Amino acid sequence: MTTLPEHLSSSSAVSTEAASAAAVGGGNRPSPTYAIVGNPNCGKSTLFNALTGLRQKIGNYPGVTVEKKVGTAWSQHGQPITLIDLPGSYSLAARSPDEAVTRDVLFGRRAETAAPDRILCIVDATNLERNLYLVHQVLDLGRPVILVLNMMDVARASGLAIDASHLEHELGIPVIPCEAVNGKGIVELRMAMSRASLPLPRHAWDVPAEIAPAVAELQAALMEGEGKPALLARAEALLLLTAAGSAAAAREASDVATFAPESRAATVLSHWQSHWRKEGVDWAASLVAARYDAISALCERVVAQRKPVSAADSASAAAHASRSDRIDAVVTHPLWGWLVLGGLMTLIFFSIFTFAEYPMDWIDGSVASFADWVKEALPEGDLRDLITDGAIAGVGGVVVFLPQILILFFFIGLLESTGYMAREAFIMDRLMSRVGLNGKSFIPMLSSYACAIPGIMAARTIENHKDRLVTILVAPLMSCSARLPVYLLMIAALLPGDTVPVASKVGLMLLMYALGTGGAFGFAWLFKKTLLKGEPPLMIMELPPYRMPALRAVARQMLDRAGLFLKRAGTIILSISIVLWFLATYPRAPEGADESGQLAQSFAGQAGHLIEPAIEPLGFDWQVGIGLITSFAAREVFVSTMGVVFNVDDPEEDTTPLREALAAATWPDGRPLFTPLVCLNLMIFYVFAMQCVATVAVVRRETNSWRWPLFQIGYMTGTAWLACFVVYQVGTALGF
Amino acid sequence: MPDSLPNNPSTLPLCQLPAGERGRVLTLAGDAPFCQRVREMGFGEDAVITKLSGSATILCQVGETRLALSHEAARRIRVQVIGPSHSGGA
Repeated sequence: MTTLPEHLSSSSAVSTEAASAAAVGGGNRPSPTYAIVGNPNCGKSTLFNALTGLRQKIGNYPGVTVEKKVGTAWSQHGQPITLIDLPGSYSLAARSPDEAVTRDVLFGRRAETAAPDRILCIVDATNLERNLYLVHQVLDLGRPVILVLNMMDVARASGLAIDASHLEHELGIPVIPCEAVNGKGIVELRMAMSRASLPLPRHAWDVPAEIAPAVAELQAALMEGEGKPALLARAEALLLLTAAGSAAAAREASDVATFAPESRAATVLSHWQSHWRKEGVDWAASLVAARYDAISALCERVVAQRKPVSAADSASAAAHASRSDRIDAVVTHPLWGWLVLGGLMTLIFFSIFTFAEYPMDWIDGSVASFADWVKEALPEGDLRDLITDGAIAGVGGVVVFLPQILILFFFIGLLESTGYMAREAFIMDRLMSRVGLNGKSFIPMLSSYACAIPGIMAARTIENHKDRLVTILVAPLMSCSARLPVYLLMIAALLPGDTVPVASKVGLMLLMYALGTGGAFGFAWLFKKTLLKGEPPLMIMELPPYRMPALRAVARQMLDRAGLFLKRAGTIILSISIVLWFLATYPRAPEGADESGQLAQSFAGQAGHLIEPAIEPLGFDWQVGIGLITSFAAREVFVSTMGVVFNVDDPEEDTTPLREALAAATWPDGRPLFTPLVCLNLMIFYVFAMQCVATVAVVRRETNSWRWPLFQIGYMTGTAWLACFVVYQVGTALGF
Repeated sequence: MPDSLPNNPSTLPLCQLPAGERGRVLTLAGDAPFCQRVREMGFGEDAVITKLSGSATILCQVGETRLALSHEAARRIRVQVIGPSHSGGA
């Protein structure tokens, strides 16, 4: 390493002492806490799962982890090691809320998380130089670091030879080559993590001479004024200077109020910045350049770009590169890309309708025979009705859709693990820029096809506050998996039996997804034009390399999802069904009233009647109204509610599948209730309406106010009503 | 700059660089956080960038990294044309 400028050497000397103290105090405790840090998509969560045995969600696209996750790994000696998995970040100068989590945990700024004792830096070995930038910033913190070179197999295949032991010698920290996906190197890593003491990084680099005095002065101000330890103060000083622009911008970027605007540090910062502006020094750029200079000098010493070791390696590397190119040439093509996307969606829905039929019939049959068995086994009475008409009808009506949910998540899992998600964002960017957002906002929207909650969380990767808010506002318009049971039930009622070709069911389903997606774009445009005006942000997004789908991870995600779905069925849906049964059964009608008279005057019936005037223009009666009210808890509750409402009719009859019960339902004058137009309208209602308490709660948390979730309920449900009103009125006028 | 053509110092915004051509980044315009992130991701001044395709949204390659840039972002990166890429993609 080159000699440090004099003023910096002195501050470095101070730092080393402080660092040693820190290492003795915290870094070398018997049960240390490790934070996992690295660029997006370099395998942090895969490694976290391998070390902890947990099943943190992983995926081949940026933004899967947006909040820290804590787990426990075990050292070689059986002692617990706390691991914190942090969101991927390119730099500690955070630009988005997820990156801010990483920075704040490392700097010990989060009240609920003590600063980690040690840090595991994961780098993608195929892209060492870029990945080392963040590592370089982390080394500034002066805490014990273990460097993990992940994806060594891919690096080797592309002809990169990284001398890990040389790198270890250069940095003075343990360097562990690893292939996290297939578990190679995990044992060695665990051994390194179990070491009672870890050496401190031998880390020195040349801060540009014109900036070095400012670093020293700022460090001193932060140490004296804010009482920060020497190394942390220096790292923070460098971070403040890396954030370009004004002192205020720097404070904001390094986040907020770690020192007051009138403090000495702020004065020092403004002083130097105005000095450099006069001199024409681009301090932020030259700091980045200085780091990269140090990194590329290091890489020159430890990386040899050599010919692949074998002809097979060489062939596989070339084939891989050209395969990626060929795939990208098609899936990012302005025309073919859209066709591929449309084809994939069709394939997914086609599979949902075709392959789910047998398991679905089986579940339907089993639920019905179970209900019949209970009817025979128990004496007639409220308890029997509660079990058959409340619990079984409600839960069974929803559980029957498990196969479809699994098929949907099978495909989502495949798309996530191959790297296609980021390409979808790429082809969507053009459309997104028309509505004032960019392709990056499409990733949260894509995740919302599974469930709006992870989608809204993934919006944390969006740098611009207004764009993040717009994305959060429109994300629940993307049709989530909880809508699937409603759509499927309505399609079954609308196009009954086997006489209708699958293609028309698929077409109808595609239409609903398109309607929701189109609505999301439309409202994003409207919000960007009115409420949250602003220029479309400049997008830079890394596209991960294609990987073969990790079938185990896909299967695991499907299992997790099935568990989650069944858990909801067994808890929320079961309890709502039971409560609903009571509300639909009491107060008792006078002797002699028929079953529908009983329902009509029950509590649930009264509530349905109460809202009937508002929903009658949409073609819905009070019985459907009960479903609209209960399904505010979660959309699939509509299906279980219909199960309870339409099964209380005939307790003596054998249990019929819900679809058939709906087909038999009528208005008081004998007209069928679920006409094709009404079924269509119900689907449209669920495309737009904000029927999900959990989403409301997450939006409240993510926006930190009640204003936005309430606004969201208002605009979404308002749109749903209006759209249904128009469709029903026009449809009826046209004679449907 | 060993690869540059000294007699042909043609410079273009990245969005106008023809597909398959390489360019060396000369200047970055745009707001400071954007420039800073571009630099931190390793394609600031002097980085060699290959444009793969795209006009509305640009697909390009820098080292081992494949990047998507919106048109507006690519317009703010000025490059000096080096010549066609030899390896096709990377």
